[in-house]
Amino acid sequence: MNILVINSGSSTIKFKLYYMTEAQLIISGLVEKIGINGSCLILERPGEETIKFEGDIDDHNEAIKTVLAALTHASYGVLTSTEMIHAVGHRVVHGGESFKKAVQINDQVLEKIKECYDLAPLHNPPNYMGILAIENLLPGIPQVAVFDTAFHQTMPAYAYMYAIPYSLYKKYGLRRYGFHGTSHRYVSQRACELAGRNYHRSKIISCHLGGGASVAAILNGRSIDTSMGLTPVEGMIMGTRSGDLDLGVLTFIMNKEEIGVGAANLLINKHSGMLGITGISSDMRDIENAATKGDSRSQLALEMYEYRIKKYIGAYSAALGGLDMIVFTGGIGENDDMIRAGVCRNLEYLGCSFDFELNANLHGKEMILSTPESKVTVAVIPTDEELMIAQDTYRNVKKKEASIKPVINSPN
Amino acid sequence: MRVEKLDVLGVDLKPKKTGEQSISKVAIIGGGYLGQEIIRTVARHGLDVVFIDLNEQIIKTTMNSISSELDHLTERWELTVGEKKAIMSRIKGSLDYADLADADLIIEAIKSRTREAMVEVRKEVFKKIEAQVSDQAIIATNSTTLVITELSSELRSPERSVSLHFISPVHESKVVEVVCGLHTSKEAFEKVCRFAEIIGKRVIRVTESPGIISTRLVAPLINEACGILLEGVGTVEDIDTTLKLGFGFPLGPFEMADKYGIDRVVRWLDNLYAEFGNLRYKASPILKKMERANHIGIASRCGFYRYNEKLIKIQPDPK
Repeated sequence: MNILVINSGSSTIKFKLYYMTEAQLIISGLVEKIGINGSCLILERPGEETIKFEGDIDDHNEAIKTVLAALTHASYGVLTSTEMIHAVGHRVVHGGESFKKAVQINDQVLEKIKECYDLAPLHNPPNYMGILAIENLLPGIPQVAVFDTAFHQTMPAYAYMYAIPYSLYKKYGLRRYGFHGTSHRYVSQRACELAGRNYHRSKIISCHLGGGASVAAILNGRSIDTSMGLTPVEGMIMGTRSGDLDLGVLTFIMNKEEIGVGAANLLINKHSGMLGITGISSDMRDIENAATKGDSRSQLALEMYEYRIKKYIGAYSAALGGLDMIVFTGGIGENDDMIRAGVCRNLEYLGCSFDFELNANLHGKEMILSTPESKVTVAVIPTDEELMIAQDTYRNVKKKEASIKPVINSPN
Repeated sequence: MRVEKLDVLGVDLKPKKTGEQSISKVAIIGGGYLGQEIIRTVARHGLDVVFIDLNEQIIKTTMNSISSELDHLTERWELTVGEKKAIMSRIKGSLDYADLADADLIIEAIKSRTREAMVEVRKEVFKKIEAQVSDQAIIATNSTTLVITELSSELRSPERSVSLHFISPVHESKVVEVVCGLHTSKEAFEKVCRFAEIIGKRVIRVTESPGIISTRLVAPLINEACGILLEGVGTVEDIDTTLKLGFGFPLGPFEMADKYGIDRVVRWLDNLYAEFGNLRYKASPILKKMERANHIGIASRCGFYRYNEKLIKIQPDPK
């Protein structure tokens, strides 16, 4: 079965085509600058030269049409017709309280995705447009929505509620939802496979550390807490986001600097985090370079970054009632051995014995980083949300596997 | 990476009508206060901007001023340093109208002096623009009190002309008024409306009339405030405070006058008076006197209030 995975953003659509059940990535790419000058389709074919197709792509419908034309093109594509696509899986950022797992899309599901516009105003509308474009161009094809928030819907109320008037929860759905759910689910499952642990009988803390960062506490395969809340600002210190902050700080700044809601929002989302502390960069590599050269603010930022994660590991170990695994993923989690070492230093009290030598210089590879005698397993798992979406889609549509596997054509 | 034209995929995309073609490059004629605000706003929304001005020194000053205003936004947490760099890279100043050749939309935002002179000057500018741009390009004016039908009357293709009125401060104001002139084609009008939406504005579609909605409301408001002041009913600060705290206006009428320029307010009123002949549009003697003394507001650091070298209002001494 061939499954097309779509991640539809406001001006970008990323896509990957998988051949299931082998989970083989056949072709991938993205459409950039939809509706603005300089729009293009970039097609990446394993083992082949990447090609950029430049031209006007005005809306999501045209973008999807272009993707389908590329996939079925005699020279550049891998399919002889769009009928070879058997199902489409979509990343949908917010499913609110309606979706606890991936679902096949119908009118009711579409309506619920729209109802969550207020909770994810930048993401859900383009996600929705991507679904409509597929329905328009491949009418009747099974489509599955995989929600970033769904994995965390198993959180108990005492973990997801904010201690603000209950009426606001009822009125606006203000509560903690969490994000990166598909990534946390994928890496925690994969880490258990790698370590030979039973996923459904494990206490796992998953650390997704990228430009955005969140930590999740996973008990027996169910998320019981996560660091991001209603929005992705809560929790970890991130590239440009503050993470946890005394709300009084924000109202103080708004008052003193005479700024409005828009600027306050930008302040905590774009001016803060590692960039805000260092004043140098939001990129961890730049900060580590500066710290090595003696920049004290960069050194402080790194200490704060590691301390925040470490603090959550302690808190989530308490929430889980013990700890079996720590998993690192995301751009920083997968590649930054200094951060991993900093986080895992002095965790012996949890029964975690970290192999610093093995950790040094490990970048972007699956690996167990704890010593064989460590009670807590530490693993690095490169995340693959698209594969997870393909697998969820496959499970949902339950069709007989098609026999025709796509073939990569060589362009003239 | 190999680069191909999208056409090679044989994808059947809907043919673009004139009005549906996207606007990617915008030109502004005149880098004055409002011109700069428009330049900054357009460039902040990812579009390339070229502005035409009179000499190299003005262009340099304008670029510096745009840069320092963006720095100010960065200091106020509204912009990151990286975003500022990207915005500045999209802006180019030029003396040469030939640089308008690939612009999709040209907005005239030159500073007016007197009505009679400015109609003629603008008509000439419109003709100079038309001599350089493509057939699809749209020529717009930011003027409200001069009507687009008159300004475009000598163009070869007056149907491409639209009036597009930004309200200062452009980056904060959420609306623009788009005026359909007598000659304006539906395509040109719709294209400008789409452009306004791309730069994050709510479009107010208005019928051509001098002053349209915004200026016709604001200019008499300032004029009436001057009347109240002349009669000794209240002080400058008290009149401003009443409007701000009483009615939730972000600025009082005298703060508005200083910000927009008292010379400009006088011009608005003169144009409205010339057009309608109604005495309520006759500029207050206070405004006239201040204009003559070059106490025109923030631009001269002296108007109804005084301003420091950073153009920040100097708070009046407490009573």
